[in-house]
Amino acid sequence: MPDDAFGIGASLLRREDERHLYGRGEFVPDIKLPGTMEVAFLRSPHAHARIRSVTAPPEAKGRVFTAADLPRIKPIRVVTQAAGAKSPPWPPLATDKVRYVGEAIAACLAPTRAEAEDLAATVMVDYEVLDAVVIAPRDMRGSRHPVHDGWGDNLFSERVFEGGDIAAAARAAELTVSREYRMNRQSGAPLEGRAVLAYRDWRLDEIVIFASTQTPHTVRVALGECLDLDLRRLRVVAPDVGGGFGPKARLYPEEIILAALALELDHPLRWVEDRSEHLLTSAHTRDHHYKVTAYADREGRVLGVDAEIIVDAGAYGLWPQGPYQEAAMAARNLPGPYVIANYRARASTVATNKAPMGPYRGVGRPGACFAIERTIDEVARAVGRDPVEVRVLNMVRPEQMPFTTVGGMRFDNGDYPQSVRLCAELIDLPAVRARQQQGEPDGRLIGVGFASFAEQTAHGAAEFVARGASIVPGFESCTARILPDGSLVLMVGIQSHGQGLETALSQIAHHELGIDPARIAVRHGDTESTAFGFGTFASRSMVMAGGAVARASRILRDKLCQIGAHLLQSDIALVRCADGVVQGPQGSVTIAEIAKVAHVRMDGLPPGLDPLLDATATYEPSVGTGVFSYATHGAVVAVDPETGFVDLIDFAVAEDCGTMVNPMIVEGQIRGGVVQGIGTALYEEIPYDDTGQPLAGTLADYLLPGAAELPAIKIGHLHTPATATEYGMKGMGEGGAVAPPAAIANAVRDALAAIGARNGPELNETPITPRRVIAAIRKARA
Amino acid sequence: MKAPAFDYVRPRSLAEAVALLGKGDGEARVVAGGQSLLALMNLRLSAPALLIDIARLPELAVVSQDDDAVTLGAGVTHAMIEDARVPDPSRGLMARAAASLGYRAIRNRGTIGGSLALADPAAEWPAVLAALDAEAAVCGSSGRRRLGCVGFATGIYETRLADDEIVETVRLPKLSAAARWGYVKLARKSGEFANALAVAVVDQARGHCRVVIGAANGAPLVLAQASRALADGKHAAETMHAAIAADLDRAADRHFDDFQRNLHRVAAMRAVQQVTA
Amino acid sequence: MTAIGLQINGADIVDELPPRLSLADYLRERRNLTGTHLGCEHGVCGACTVLVDGEPARACLLLAVACDGRRVQTIEGFAGDPVMAALRDAFHRCHGLQCGFCTPAMLITACDLIRRGKAGSEAEIRQGLAGNLCRCTGYTNIVAAVLDAAATQGAGDAG
Repeated sequence: MPDDAFGIGASLLRREDERHLYGRGEFVPDIKLPGTMEVAFLRSPHAHARIRSVTAPPEAKGRVFTAADLPRIKPIRVVTQAAGAKSPPWPPLATDKVRYVGEAIAACLAPTRAEAEDLAATVMVDYEVLDAVVIAPRDMRGSRHPVHDGWGDNLFSERVFEGGDIAAAARAAELTVSREYRMNRQSGAPLEGRAVLAYRDWRLDEIVIFASTQTPHTVRVALGECLDLDLRRLRVVAPDVGGGFGPKARLYPEEIILAALALELDHPLRWVEDRSEHLLTSAHTRDHHYKVTAYADREGRVLGVDAEIIVDAGAYGLWPQGPYQEAAMAARNLPGPYVIANYRARASTVATNKAPMGPYRGVGRPGACFAIERTIDEVARAVGRDPVEVRVLNMVRPEQMPFTTVGGMRFDNGDYPQSVRLCAELIDLPAVRARQQQGEPDGRLIGVGFASFAEQTAHGAAEFVARGASIVPGFESCTARILPDGSLVLMVGIQSHGQGLETALSQIAHHELGIDPARIAVRHGDTESTAFGFGTFASRSMVMAGGAVARASRILRDKLCQIGAHLLQSDIALVRCADGVVQGPQGSVTIAEIAKVAHVRMDGLPPGLDPLLDATATYEPSVGTGVFSYATHGAVVAVDPETGFVDLIDFAVAEDCGTMVNPMIVEGQIRGGVVQGIGTALYEEIPYDDTGQPLAGTLADYLLPGAAELPAIKIGHLHTPATATEYGMKGMGEGGAVAPPAAIANAVRDALAAIGARNGPELNETPITPRRVIAAIRKARA
Repeated sequence: MKAPAFDYVRPRSLAEAVALLGKGDGEARVVAGGQSLLALMNLRLSAPALLIDIARLPELAVVSQDDDAVTLGAGVTHAMIEDARVPDPSRGLMARAAASLGYRAIRNRGTIGGSLALADPAAEWPAVLAALDAEAAVCGSSGRRRLGCVGFATGIYETRLADDEIVETVRLPKLSAAARWGYVKLARKSGEFANALAVAVVDQARGHCRVVIGAANGAPLVLAQASRALADGKHAAETMHAAIAADLDRAADRHFDDFQRNLHRVAAMRAVQQVTA
Repeated sequence: MTAIGLQINGADIVDELPPRLSLADYLRERRNLTGTHLGCEHGVCGACTVLVDGEPARACLLLAVACDGRRVQTIEGFAGDPVMAALRDAFHRCHGLQCGFCTPAMLITACDLIRRGKAGSEAEIRQGLAGNLCRCTGYTNIVAAVLDAAATQGAGDAG
């Protein structure tokens, strides 16, 4: 329940809306600086090649820059503490070799982007084309031309995760289910691509980088290292960012190159990524292969899981976390929300001649959820029980919380089985079954499928250190400043790019201080005006930055009470701060009046108390292993068995993210994530030919779900507040994208179950395209 | 990506446009709606030296009809057809096809003549116009001639247009009152190019029955046996099924894989079922 | 360089520009109207949608020079438009935007749907918005907003 119209629990309408509704958002490409030169990159057309020479025409002198022309730039280097992991240097502009189609070789400058592209077309490169490493499972242990010289194989890292006794589970099993699963490579595809604008500010002796990034402070750290510059001479600003979702939470070569050019040249530089460039070079995502064996008893209780996980991580590691976390997350989340006591997973992160892999909403979890949730359904079918029942049978129960899974996830609290029941209610399972029995007049087959998961959020230092990270995003910061007129500015280290944090964080400050959100400004995204923070990713911002806002606000509240008590000539124990005033036994004084005293009338301050109302605080949840939101998703599909086309006719989410500061924003995040998950399930894929050429270069091939393809997304909530965070908040931003592929695959399975002699066609690969559906039907009938 | 540089001219008459095209040495292209050409140019997949803007030529905007046919200027947009702002000789088939084409913003600029001239294998108009037995009037330096819409396209992005010819009008015979049609477009995403496209027209009063499939790896494919079966009133599902299968078997040069072949078969059957139901 | 004269948001403009400059780039780079966004430049995503002679068009697939004599209206040019005002209010109340990148084009397309009487049902609106991609919202709230705004205009199947 909201504590008032503006505080925690209120669906306060967003202040960020106004500028966007009037087309006055300020995205990087909207910022105009006189004298800006546009940059187009000459990019490799080959997946794997040695560069013999790069020749620019003589008239291009001073406007074409290769690695040799920018010797200042140090290669990107991911440092990891993970044992045995390999970390190759990544020169932002290619030097002797290119390792993926699209890798940048030269920056070409001209007054317009069109002319810069013309210029890039005149630069000649002599390549010696090499064999490309394209199929991760086949080439991981070696290939004729390994991606990185001197490795002997194509493995970034390989690790075994174990718990319990998998051999004992195998012996005790009454049935075994073994399957292979595949989640194909895709793009994060925010609607705005990346962009960088860099210039030299002579007055402040700074290089200023505007970047469409989720993580300005850490980008600044990296730029300082790559360019050997003091950070006091670097400012990074993320203005409005048109979607991030993970791929923009990494350092990219273009940021380094533009910054280096700004140091060398006497004019601003701008690079705006176009869609083809984005599909080629922005972080690729998903791309998992699984072999899973589940050992179960005849009731469907899963005794153990044995798995091989292969992640195709592309050619380089994106800074700071590198390519390793995807496979590790998949391995640690494969046991799902279940009490599975015995486990072994070998997780391999493979280098291939493709664009580097990065995080994308859910990261390793959508793949892991797909693998385990499909397996649970198959276990259910093998024992002749409803998958809903078997899911609940295996789930961690509320009374078992806190529960540490065999994958090392420490679930804090929640009623996972209840999410299954609530989801079945939302989807109206009995009605779907009835419709299924009746049959569709047009011959389509109805199916319903479920998938459940728990999402680790707002994990702190302990978790990242355990992962071997060299950059540990274990806290967030807030500087809260009450201005001389009593209005409030919150300066935070996260970066809001659609999550409504300019509104939601003001709700927290309102809760603590009683100041009307209309008098609160949230500043984020600029290293100049905010204390160090890590940015927005990993479902962390509300918990972490919200906690920091709460703490900083309380420090201010205490000072307001001190000054207020003095002004009211009251004992401090008898005053309280609420509703924008400090209230004493005999009267009240407004925050504005106190602010005036704290700034321009310091003569009114109590003796010994310094002026200003300015507080900086950091925050980390009291449990470093994360707080876990969870959900069950349900999908209803209509499959055309003649064509293989799958229509999604209903989708429901039953979720629990603890205390919701702004339920409207929470539901928006869920729906957005779900549709991205639907994209993974049914539409999005970057296929490759055997020379390493990506085959989806435009949105004509790379299909993104539109409004006409989708039903309305239904949502139901459970409420189990966290005990380790402020107000009981849990992160939830990614969850929507985790379960749809599994739920939809299970629904298609259900729809087609009657086809064929034995078990019915299975869809164990995403996206579930008509081709794959027809192939599965054919196989089942054979 | 940004388009490569080119010169631009907007002639005021069709004759002037034809002359410019003729002088272009193969480096000139006409542009009407530009919805296909400019996308290709933005991707640097097409780089004409001269663009001849024919979007506003009065000769391409004519719309007329007589008892037998409707004549639409090549510059008539998909949206005009969708909205029935021009007479519809097809008893709703053309409006239905237009509404399934791309998105409204594309339809507001893209033209029927442009679609015909481009001959994208997955486009709607080439297949629909072939099914309706339409005829294009084209204008070149050697004068005007008429080309049937069946066989107008000869391959993927290939037509019988000479380098200096421009589509001027399309003449569409009016379907009689008892005529029936079927239209099936199979695509995963609303507005994208068809994975399979089938158009069936039965107009016994005029002795015209035709089944055409698009998205067929080349020019629209007339399913001759299926067309004959429709004309002969042999509507039984088995017969139609066999006829369609035979037609697809004969199209070995299209190199359909099993999935595509099946999709075309299903689309054609369903289009026929819309007519015979 | 080619000379053109056109109207942008009610103002008469005379200019000279290279033929290859798209309307989108002309608006953004030369007229400082940056509310029209670029998401693909091949006509699929819809983020560049503007009105040309009152009809939605893809500014990325229009040459600026081809707009000679035409009336262009961008998101910056809807002051006083009651349908747009209703949509803006509805998008705000229904949480129909998150990052804001698709929003100007989504509003323009929705405005056209309502004006043409094609916003009478959820299904109709979803079909009408098929050419405007959003990566953030999942569309549910956008559709609700358009339905809401259409109702206030007494529109719907005005037909």
